[in-house]
Amino acid sequence: MKRNLGCNPLDHVLSRRNFIVGAGTAAGFGGLLPRTWAKDAERNQKQILQVYLQGGVSQLESWDPKPGTELGGPFRAIPTSVPGIHISELLPHTAKMMHLLSIVRSINLKTDDHTQGRLFMEKGRNVGAYPYVGSVAAKYLDSRDPALPGYIHISTRGLNDDTTGFLEPQYGQFKLEGVKAPKNLDLPKDISRKRYLARTDFRAQLDQQFASRRRKSFIDALGSSFNQASKLMERKGLFEAQQDPKDLERYGTHDFARNCILGRTLLERGATCVKVTHHGYDSHAENFNFHLEQLGEFDKTFATLLGDLEDRGMLENTLVMIYSEFGRTPKINHRYGRDHWGSAWSIALGGCGIQTGGVVGKTNDKGTEVSDREVHGGHLFQTYLKAIGIDPSQNHDIPGRVIPIGDPAVEPVQELLA
Amino acid sequence: MTWLRILIGSLLLALLSDATAPATELHETIDQQIRQSHPQFLAHQAALSTDTEFLRRIYLDLTGRIPTPRETLRFMQQGDTNKRVQLIDHLVKQPEHARHLQHFFDVMLMERLPKKHVTLEQWQTYLYDSCRDNVSWEQMTWDILSADGAQPATRSAARFLLDREVKPELVTRAIGRVFLGRDLQCAQCHDHPAIDDYPQRHYYGLVSFFSRAYLFNDPKSKQTSIGEKAEGTTKFTSVFTNEEATTFPRVLDLPVFTDPMPDKEPYVTKPDKNARGVPKYSRLEHLPGAITHADNRAFRLNIANRLWHFMMGRGFVEPLDMFHADNPPSHPVLLQLIADDLHEHQYDVRYLLRQLARTKVYQRSSILKTDDESIKLRYTAAHIKPLTAEQLAWSTMLATGLVDTTRQATIQAFLATKLGDGKTMPTAPMDWESLQLHLETELNKALQSQVTQFTTAFARTDGPGEFNATANQALFLANSPLISTWLRPSGNNLVSRLVAQPDSAKLAAELYLSVLSRLPDATETARIAKFVDAFPERTTTIQELVRVLLCSAEFRFNH
Repeated sequence: MKRNLGCNPLDHVLSRRNFIVGAGTAAGFGGLLPRTWAKDAERNQKQILQVYLQGGVSQLESWDPKPGTELGGPFRAIPTSVPGIHISELLPHTAKMMHLLSIVRSINLKTDDHTQGRLFMEKGRNVGAYPYVGSVAAKYLDSRDPALPGYIHISTRGLNDDTTGFLEPQYGQFKLEGVKAPKNLDLPKDISRKRYLARTDFRAQLDQQFASRRRKSFIDALGSSFNQASKLMERKGLFEAQQDPKDLERYGTHDFARNCILGRTLLERGATCVKVTHHGYDSHAENFNFHLEQLGEFDKTFATLLGDLEDRGMLENTLVMIYSEFGRTPKINHRYGRDHWGSAWSIALGGCGIQTGGVVGKTNDKGTEVSDREVHGGHLFQTYLKAIGIDPSQNHDIPGRVIPIGDPAVEPVQELLA
Repeated sequence: MTWLRILIGSLLLALLSDATAPATELHETIDQQIRQSHPQFLAHQAALSTDTEFLRRIYLDLTGRIPTPRETLRFMQQGDTNKRVQLIDHLVKQPEHARHLQHFFDVMLMERLPKKHVTLEQWQTYLYDSCRDNVSWEQMTWDILSADGAQPATRSAARFLLDREVKPELVTRAIGRVFLGRDLQCAQCHDHPAIDDYPQRHYYGLVSFFSRAYLFNDPKSKQTSIGEKAEGTTKFTSVFTNEEATTFPRVLDLPVFTDPMPDKEPYVTKPDKNARGVPKYSRLEHLPGAITHADNRAFRLNIANRLWHFMMGRGFVEPLDMFHADNPPSHPVLLQLIADDLHEHQYDVRYLLRQLARTKVYQRSSILKTDDESIKLRYTAAHIKPLTAEQLAWSTMLATGLVDTTRQATIQAFLATKLGDGKTMPTAPMDWESLQLHLETELNKALQSQVTQFTTAFARTDGPGEFNATANQALFLANSPLISTWLRPSGNNLVSRLVAQPDSAKLAAELYLSVLSRLPDATETARIAKFVDAFPERTTTIQELVRVLLCSAEFRFNH
């Protein structure tokens, strides 16, 4: 795969997908700031919705309840829309949508560390500077001239993660602080749009001159970042619009609800991967009260979002992941908490490419060990990619380097794939 | 061209074996090695950098900022053939050099972790003082790995261990990466599946130094420090084979530190909830000596590779923390040679940086002579390096004139405190060097909050990588009110000077000199003139011009 060196370096946002679909590659400066927005999400473009339960949700209080057992805790299990599958009573709304999801109950990451667990779940490898699944999706699924950054993370705290590894920086995570518009979206006072365009044009001219006979990758990346910035400025309305009171009524008015409504909008507008983080599951003390409250927020909002995606026909093309960095210890500590637990926990998946209404893997009766079909972050990573049509056994499209997309030592979880 | 190589080779040999020839300096050896590393090197090598190219690069690399217009003009006009060497030697003595190295070591050691037990100010002061006094890397390693946080004098250096709360998995990984160039985290559960050189025993050998250490929280003073118990062993089991093993403290495959026979009373201070445990025999005490031991070659190779990366923009081994047999250095002999030389020079960081700066490798232009892909990684041309968050902040503040204004204010403040009414002499006169140090420290304090806004926008959390250009950063550069403030005409700042300049050629020269540290050519001058004439409201147009240059690749990179 060779880059077309004939076209403008600032427009070198060539993705594998363009080659596959045979999109044109010639473009001039006109592509820098499109005056009219083409149709938003391209039809059939695969997308991802990630709902990340930060801190480590308890599998026993969610997807893998063990009621009435020594370490099972006080909550009951309830039936779901899929006969035979029971989940925690803390998820009554989600239970009604179970036919749209599948559960994996047999994850063993062999780490109890927040960062290591998160990186393993995101990168599919437990070591090394690999890209997150969101950046991989952005690289191979983004349209040639995407209307929005390919990978958007809505969160209310935390620093920026380096999600690209060796991929081009434009596929890195774009972070939003809740529903607030990104910072610095407004032009300085007195600067008209005309002036802004002149400035942009002038900068591109300078950079083109500078790039001549120099190594291009960094310079291209810088150009892309300004290009993305321009597009976000054009789409300011997206972040400033009042959220529909009817939506707020259905989703809730807390931060997570508002973030989910924005997430839905961003997916509708063509973002390839949208990650919504729900903070606060690290319940070393008062695990049960915490989960009652946290999942109380999560359950109705998430179920509403999932329902909306289904009603709008978006689930056909959108992979849905509900995940954490790990689960929580079956053992209940003296503060009624559960601690970090990477060795036997669960996630749920749904949407495009996923065989829904099922359960993969098992833990033993007390939930202290995986007893069947053990998987780790590597297997799951490949499953997500397969589901959205990216072959993880292929190599990354990086000039001069041979790097397999997924760890060649592991395979996707076939039973989960539709 | 084999005969030519033989000829050059024998000439070099003749030179080297000439007993009267002066000993070859490291920078010459480096150039020789690099030249010999590829048969077609000479045909592909880029030209030597121009004076202005070199000047901007060396200021950024050694002082963390671009040169001032005055510094640029002075250097351009200087006729001395030895002026580059003189400048290098001058810059490493500046307070700003110490500040820049402080940031380098800070990011390398702490990776911008938020503060936990030691304040950032204490830690940064420790690093700054060490860099200012050119404390060797070996000594810094001792400082950092031997500090327990209980002694006030060494508490600031204890941040490396204390802010990782002496957790074995965190400190082991950090020590492996920062001091040994090895990310051993994967060997925590089993021998590394893909890397033969990272066996589980290496990971647990390091863990074993810490297996008796714990974070002690003094109930009275509320201060945390590192306590140690007199017992505890390190066992590990491979999750693959279920084989169980124990290990004493040990660095990689170097000799183990076996425990002495247990004493009847094993404690100097017995650990309890009010007292920090101090055993008679400490495992942890052996750590700094073991890491810096001459037999531990990983120590010297790691720092040589990191300092080479710091100057050249690329390590011999990449990623920097992936030293192992299947990831060999690009120039194995040269890396060994530099590492040994650094060891012989007692890990004198300033010595190595000066030698690296003097090489042709460092001083080559970044403009490629050839497009040949195969030779690009062989140092035929200078690598383009993105400015760090701190370099970008200081360079932007300097270009727009904020540094100058603030420096004037710190001088005024100094004079006011030292001279009082301006008539009486200060009681303790300061020598020139101390005054410079004082003013730099004051300037640094005065602009700290501005720098922090840059680090928030530009610094990443996961350590050094390639280049992180995000839309958030582009928006910051393009629109942030912070930069708009610096572009308001005021005093003698850049926009003010440009607005007052009626001649568009002079305006272009001033603009280029201030922001890009060079003079514009005729095309560039004409382009500037055209832009200025294209819009009404001259001040706004000039502000926009400065923005454009501040957003340009030429400014964003060290090239």
